[in-house]
Parts: sequence; C-alpha cells; structure tokens
Amino acid sequence: TVKKQTESEEEEEQEFEGSVILFIILLFLSIGALQWKDGLQQKASEAFLRQQEAAPNLRKLIYGSEASDSEDEDKELGGLFRVSRPHNSTKFQANALDCSRFNPDTFHDWDLEEMLNSIRDCFVTGKWEEGQDAA
Amino acid sequence: IHGLTYDGCNFFRQRLVLSTLSGKRVKISNIRSKEDNPGLRDFEASFIRLLDKVTNGSRIEINQTGSVLFYQPGLLQGGSVEHDCNTQRSIGYYLEALLMLAPFMKTSLKATLRGVTNDPIDPTVDVLKSTALPLMKKFGIDGEGFDLKVVKRGMAPGGGGEVVFTCPVRRTIRPVQLMDPGKIKRIRGVAYSVRVSPQMANRIVESARGVLNQFIPDIYIYTDHMKGANSGKSPGFGLTLVAETLNGFFLSAEMSSTPQGQGDPMLPEDLGRNCAKLLLEEVHRGGCVDSSNQSLALLLMTLGQQDVSKVLLGPLSPYTIEFLRHIRDFFQIMFKVEVRKPLEDERKGGDKVLMTCVGVGYSNINKSLK
Repeated sequence: TVKKQTESEEEEEQEFEGSVILFIILLFLSIGALQWKDGLQQKASEAFLRQQEAAPNLRKLIYGSEASDSEDEDKELGGLFRVSRPHNSTKFQANALDCSRFNPDTFHDWDLEEMLNSIRDCFVTGKWEEGQDAA
Repeated sequence: IHGLTYDGCNFFRQRLVLSTLSGKRVKISNIRSKEDNPGLRDFEASFIRLLDKVTNGSRIEINQTGSVLFYQPGLLQGGSVEHDCNTQRSIGYYLEALLMLAPFMKTSLKATLRGVTNDPIDPTVDVLKSTALPLMKKFGIDGEGFDLKVVKRGMAPGGGGEVVFTCPVRRTIRPVQLMDPGKIKRIRGVAYSVRVSPQMANRIVESARGVLNQFIPDIYIYTDHMKGANSGKSPGFGLTLVAETLNGFFLSAEMSSTPQGQGDPMLPEDLGRNCAKLLLEEVHRGGCVDSSNQSLALLLMTLGQQDVSKVLLGPLSPYTIEFLRHIRDFFQIMFKVEVRKPLEDERKGGDKVLMTCVGVGYSNINKSLK
C-alpha cells in the first residue's frame, strides 16, 4: 500500500502542476489590463483552494479526523470490547429506522426545463464527447 | 478477536452482517431503551432467526427487555432455507442482508422467503432483482442458479407473497474498476397490481411514459397483474423503473401505493409521474451503482482479492456513510474518497464520488472443497 500511496501522491503532484500552469496562464491574462479580468487571478486561486478543501472534507465527514481515531483505540473495555466511536459524533439517531433508501431532504423540481436539461447528456440522445461513438 | 459495541437499533443489519462476515462478535445495547415499549421489534427478531438459519453455531443472547443483544457469529452454512419474514418490514429488508452473505456460504443458498414483497419503505424484491443481481455479476458472482424469482406478490400490510433467491458460492471476489457508467440506452420497468383493477397498471404506465419520453424513446414498462392465490392478502399497486446504460449499469427508482388503512390512497397517475421523477433524480445522482445498492458494492470491493477496486458512485447516502464506518470497524479498511465534478459544458447531473480501496483478500473458508 505504501507504493500505491506514493503513486497517488505522484498523481496529485501532476494535478498540482497542471493547476499551477493554469494559474500562471490566468496570471498572464490578468496582467493584460482589461478591467473585467481583474478579479480572475483571485477567483482562480480561490477556486483552487476550494477544490483542495472539498475532497479531504468528505473523507473527514465519513471517518472523522485522524486524532479521534487514536482516541478510540484507547477505550478498551476489559480487553474484550472496543468503543467504536464517540456516540455524540454521529449525526444519526441511534434508534432511527434501519433503511437503505436514500431519501434526501429536498428533491429537485423536475417540472423545470432547467433541471431536465441538467441530465440530458446522461442519455444516448444527449451530446457525445469526441472520440466516442454510439455503439 | 475482540468484539465491537454499538448503541441503538439503527443500522442493525449492517452490524450483524459485517459481524458474520468478519467473525467478530458484536454487542448492541440501548435498543429503544428510552421508549415506552423498549427492545427489539418482531421484525428484528425475525431477522435474527433468519441469520440463525443460514449460519451454524451462532450464539445469540438477548436480555429480558430485549434492549441488549449479544451476537457471536457462527459459520455461514447456506443450503435450503425457508423463512416467514415478519410483515412489519418487507422481504427486501431481509433480502438485502442475504445478498451480502449468500456468496460466502458453505453450500449454495436457496432461500424461500414469505411475507410482504412490496411496500413503500424498503427496496422491493422487484428492484433488487433488476439492480442488485446485475451488480453482483460485475464482481464475478454469476452462473447458473443465480436468480431471484417472485412467485407470489404480497403487498403491505397483509403480505402473503413469496420469493425464491438462489445464489452460487464463490471462493474469492473479483476486484473491479467501474468508473464509466456510459449513457442510458433504454428504460425498462414493471407496473404491478394485485386485488385492484388491472387497469391501474395501465394508468401508471401512461403517466410514467409521459415524463420519461422527453429523454429517450426506448421505454418499455411491463404490466404485471397477479391473480388468485398469487396475489397475496392486501390490495395495492406500484411501479419500478430501471435505466440501463451502454456499459451495463442500472439505475432504479420505485414507488408503491399507500398500504391499505395507513393513510390517503394514491392515484395511479400520480404514482407513475412521481416515480418517473424519482428516476430522473437517480439519474442526476448518477454513477455506476444506484443509491440503494451503494453499500453492497462497497462491501464486495472490501472483500475482493488484494488488489485495487474503483467504483464511481453518486452522492453517498447517509446509510452508506455509516456503512463505510462499520467497514472500518470490522475490516480496518478505509476508502479513498474523491469528488468528481462534471465539466462545465457537460449536462450529466451532480457531483460524483470515486471510491477506491484495496480488498482484504477475503476468501470463503466455508466453501467446501470439491
């Protein structure tokens, strides 16, 4: 797994390099002195930071922070049972309904043309990427 | 091997299933301990009995009020099993767990389950048949005798339905790379009705087509009207819709009529239209696995051979997030989670999540050598 980690790190590095190049291009453009381009550099860097933050947050949401993991392992009861996690950290009610269905709080309004358009390319009738053919 | 402790009856099946597969004992306390009627419900007891039937040597202890359960798993035995599933929950509730356990039995499982085949709460047997089974095939669980047959339909609350689930055993699970769902080529569905006019199913089909025809012409929704002894004890109707992609993935949505005596009845037209919209919601979520099968896919990735598995999912459901935590508890596996945003000019719904892990190399020690 160490090997894989370094591989994924390399991938991340490559991604990082890619975004640095993008960043430099944007920087170049913004020097071009057109008024509307002024905020571009800042916008790009903000977008980049947002993206950097989004991914680890999902992992953190699932597994909690690394620090709380080590705490868990200390809580052994008589060597037989292990407290799996602090109960107050789960946002679910311990005695709620055990059901696999995904019912989100709000559904999209599928009467809106805008929503219908947002999934058009999921179908064979939608737009195809270059290099792909209808089988 | 040390055991794990949990509180409350939520995620009950996940805990017992993962306990059985990992061999780790589990203790669940405070089950509805603060309610007027504390302890396990009949459907949970029924679930435990089913678990006891498919295993050999399990030890189950429940305290007097039923608010504490101790479970020490035995070996997965399999074979021919019959079970009357308590009708508080539909057969789907029980079957979801059996789908996770069946490939790892000693001998092929043939489970005859009786009870409620369709209710509005759990995934119905129809939707599991058309989504969970093809998903398992991607992991190499396949072959003759891999089938889920709806023999009799039984709507909630009365039930009276019957399904037969047969599944071959596997020694190992194939790692998968399911990253490109492909475009949806067709939509299939079943509109079912029992103990009501067969015309109900036709009305459902009409209204569902009205919504879906905006996207694709290849839509076929079968009507299934079971009669007499095969129609169960309660009247009702419903619809399951499945969108099939070019790469062989299935996204589903479904809706069942309100069980008799449990609220306002639903018009078949409304049910058809709303179910079609639910399918659009599911397409918007997207990925290679539909939302109710996320945990099944993640489990099979976890138990795969020691190699990298990657699966693209839609947004993770709260049930799935808890399942990931339980996988860490029982198998010490943590997934790599990467958000994949659609490109700006792409009209492919919302953000997706790429899940990556290295399987634990689980091998089925129960499977008998031939």
